[in-house]
Amino acid sequence: MCKIGKFFLKLFGVLFAVNALLFVVFFFDLDGKLLFNVVEPFLKKHYDDMERKDVIKQPYDMNKFPKY
Amino acid sequence: MRDLKHLIYFENLLQEANNDLVKQAKAEGKRAIGYTCYFMPEVLLDLPGCFSTRLRAPRCTSPDIATYYLSGRVCHYARSLLERALEGGYNFLDAQMGTETCTATCRFQEHLQQKHLDSVEDMRIIDNDDFFCEFTDIPFKNNENSYQHFETQLRAHVLEPLHEHFGIDISDEALIKTVEQHNEVCRLINEIGDYRKLDNPTITGYEFHVIQLVSLTCPKELILPYLRETAEEMKTREPDDKKNFRCKVVLAGSENDDPDFTKLIESCGALVVCDRFCYGAVESRIPIVLEEGKSPLRCIAEHYLKTSNCPRFMPQDEMRARKKRLAELAKEYHADGVIIASNKFCEYWSYERVIDTFILQRDFGLPVCSIEKEYINSASGQLRTRFQAFVESVEIKHIQEGK
Amino acid sequence: MAKKDIKKALKDFWFGKPHSGEEGGRRLGELYEDKTGLLKHREWRGVKDTFYYMYMIWGYNYVHMVTDILKYSNNPIDFFKGTWRYRWMGQTYLPVIHWFERGLQGMRGEALAASAWHYRAMVSASIQQICNFFNADTRLHGGKQNDAYRHTIYANETTCGTMFYPFMDAGYRYLPIEMIPYFVTCHVNSHTVLNYIDAVQSLGLPGDPCPMCQAEAGIFVLDDVPDSSPMVITCNEACDASVSTSTLQDWFADKPLFALPIPMQFDDPLVKKYCMKEIEDCWKFIEEQTGSPFSWESMVKRLEKQNKLQRDEWEKWEVASKTDYYPINGVAQALFRIFSTQYGIQGDFWDEASEKVKKIMYKCVEKKIKPFPKTRHRVIAWSCAPLYFSNWCTWAYNCWGLNCIINMDSLMFDMEIRTDSYEHMLEDMATYHMWAPMRRMAVGGMHHIFELWEYMERFNCDMVAMYDQLQCKGMQGVHGLFEDEFRKRDIKAFWIPHALPDCRTVSRAEIRRQINDYMTTVMHEEPLDPSLLDFDDSMTW
Repeated sequence: MCKIGKFFLKLFGVLFAVNALLFVVFFFDLDGKLLFNVVEPFLKKHYDDMERKDVIKQPYDMNKFPKY
Repeated sequence: MRDLKHLIYFENLLQEANNDLVKQAKAEGKRAIGYTCYFMPEVLLDLPGCFSTRLRAPRCTSPDIATYYLSGRVCHYARSLLERALEGGYNFLDAQMGTETCTATCRFQEHLQQKHLDSVEDMRIIDNDDFFCEFTDIPFKNNENSYQHFETQLRAHVLEPLHEHFGIDISDEALIKTVEQHNEVCRLINEIGDYRKLDNPTITGYEFHVIQLVSLTCPKELILPYLRETAEEMKTREPDDKKNFRCKVVLAGSENDDPDFTKLIESCGALVVCDRFCYGAVESRIPIVLEEGKSPLRCIAEHYLKTSNCPRFMPQDEMRARKKRLAELAKEYHADGVIIASNKFCEYWSYERVIDTFILQRDFGLPVCSIEKEYINSASGQLRTRFQAFVESVEIKHIQEGK
Repeated sequence: MAKKDIKKALKDFWFGKPHSGEEGGRRLGELYEDKTGLLKHREWRGVKDTFYYMYMIWGYNYVHMVTDILKYSNNPIDFFKGTWRYRWMGQTYLPVIHWFERGLQGMRGEALAASAWHYRAMVSASIQQICNFFNADTRLHGGKQNDAYRHTIYANETTCGTMFYPFMDAGYRYLPIEMIPYFVTCHVNSHTVLNYIDAVQSLGLPGDPCPMCQAEAGIFVLDDVPDSSPMVITCNEACDASVSTSTLQDWFADKPLFALPIPMQFDDPLVKKYCMKEIEDCWKFIEEQTGSPFSWESMVKRLEKQNKLQRDEWEKWEVASKTDYYPINGVAQALFRIFSTQYGIQGDFWDEASEKVKKIMYKCVEKKIKPFPKTRHRVIAWSCAPLYFSNWCTWAYNCWGLNCIINMDSLMFDMEIRTDSYEHMLEDMATYHMWAPMRRMAVGGMHHIFELWEYMERFNCDMVAMYDQLQCKGMQGVHGLFEDEFRKRDIKAFWIPHALPDCRTVSRAEIRRQINDYMTTVMHEEPLDPSLLDFDDSMTW
């Protein structure tokens, strides 16, 4: 088989494998499962633990702004 | 203190919307004009030939049919009004001057309105052939554009309908005369209310609440003699030797036409010396100033937009300034703290109460008791506990400050 | 295996299982994992639709989520910094494809393709907004107020985007503050918003005010609002609670704020002048804050695009009302309309999606393709929808054959804005502003909310899905009258109780149960897919 033929065969093989893999991810909702079971709990913990400004301490100046 | 001569009479007048003075005015051929909101200028409804009555639904505890129409998730006040209307309690009304100022009372008034639509059947709740309900658009701001708009609206939706339906004189002269009468009521109420500023006040918050309410619900002309007499009586009224309160408070918040609520607070030792709530006197009894070069109607429109402290107002400076004004009231009336009460399901005051609670304490050093209440509360043990605890905390604060 | 079974298996493989309650029909409910709402596996929709879905929806949108970031972001690093900083971003952005999944479940052919284009436009617009937030956010730039910050105008999400067109040629962008952090999150991931509702209630706010407004305030309470603009425009839409929320937001944002009121009695010709003046004052405020003048050309250019989008909608509605060939499902119709009108014309995504959808629609008309062949009832949805279950109509079609043709929110901005003169434009702008979402029907007298009957007739609907937002005082206040009218007119109507963004008040399962009960006890019908009657998705996004 000529080099070009081999290249296309390989390319086809790689594309097929990538597509097959994508199909598995797609069909079995692996993206959803990863996000739900791993990514979201991780991010949630991060946001829960995040230090936040206590907005109640924010000044509330009665005369700061003119009448708009 | 000696009992006020007319207090029991006033209390009786508050037992029903269609009270003796309302009946008397109706018998004299005057038209009864109902309203619910401060933004509907009562002075316009008091023109010669008609009288204003701010609607209440005293003793309404179980608004069952109204709950079918408005659901149980709408404020008890609006449901009570609709229930009372459905019971026939407002059949004396010749007109309702509606405002879409809060959703719940708007819906109540829309139920009263004969809409003449194919899409929804009118209920004819008010059994009075002359009855009509007219809505006025109320601005959310107090700027020049709003004054103009409000004046136009009041002419088109209050004065002209009153003239067209009932032949009411809506001339400037009639307005000026009515403003004079209105201002006399204001002067008398303020005179009586000012006794609450004394170190040992000669009037209780409950008594004042009753007096203020009769001034809102009864025909002005007929209630005025009683108010004059009460104001005279107050001049010589002596306080009890020993103060029978433990602290003084400003009562602020949403709709409150229940003097028993004030009584409940006072029974816990907190004297209510200032009433900045819907139906209270702080805003509604500021006399109207008629300025030269401006029509009386324009002055009235400006007056009601300039004096309101309603959380419905949206301009930034106004949102902020009304907190300051509340703190200034506490100072003016020598109050030790503020009770902020919002009615359950009142969206405006739910938020305003939260903000006031933080800001008044933090920025103005005022102790605040923040509560949510129903329209009728007198039997609430839970509230009593809250008020008692608040009074104690104010007392402890005083001890700590060495007062 | 019998020959018959092989034939059926091949047919199912090629076309997907039939949408039928009979033996051998598809069972979408069985695809779900218990509680999480995740899929054991995605539905096999037949060869063509499965691969269309995989490549043209799933794959295409994943890729475009990345390319959109590159397109709209000044610096993609900011995007990751923002994702790390803001809960509404991290928790929401990633499950976007599942949002498609919920809305498009069971769809085939033209319905699948057309509805997905609506979703695509919404995602693109959302990414643009997110990038605009992060490009300008001082928190992500060491407190620096950069050029993007100075060119961003913050407004309450219920202020219509149209208001800001005059300043867009000069490079200004309008950002509806809460649209992404609150509104979009509810649809994509309903978990996020609960943090904001709880946060505002932790200050002492009772649980009964409108939960939308609670969440809008809660974002500020949790300090989760980017600092991306030097000013704020607020408005009183949609209700009393919205006005009050502004106060809380003003405290925490602490920026120059212009209140742009919407008159309530909007049918009264006298209010228009007032409204027009307030709009002009708003433009004046923006001019003062930005130093950039009002541009008529900028306004007209975008208004014309907006008008074109409106005419597209009319075309679509014409088909929807008069034929069975309308290919958009209920949720895609409703969300596209409200997203596009609120955000306004800030890109070509709306127009592109609309053109693609029209092409598919006319193909259906020409070839007489019925995208929803199992329609038993044509439903009009009235009042405001549960944001955490806006895809209820997809479920209702799959389970019961209830095809939601149109909804109230879509009908709000039903107008073009004239561009032949400044006066005409301003007059129409006032009307448009007063017809803002949840406004036109909900206030200004009862006759608007009872326009339902007219629209039922116009869209040829035989059933009403009546949303019952438990904390909406305006809609609660007409509950009894609707009951009376439904009875009097003998209209088939079911109520959908909900609490807008808060899935804890009325669960999705409870909503489904209410519809199931109605369909069995009142309508005496059998489900098209019995597996969808009852399943537990309490933890789902």
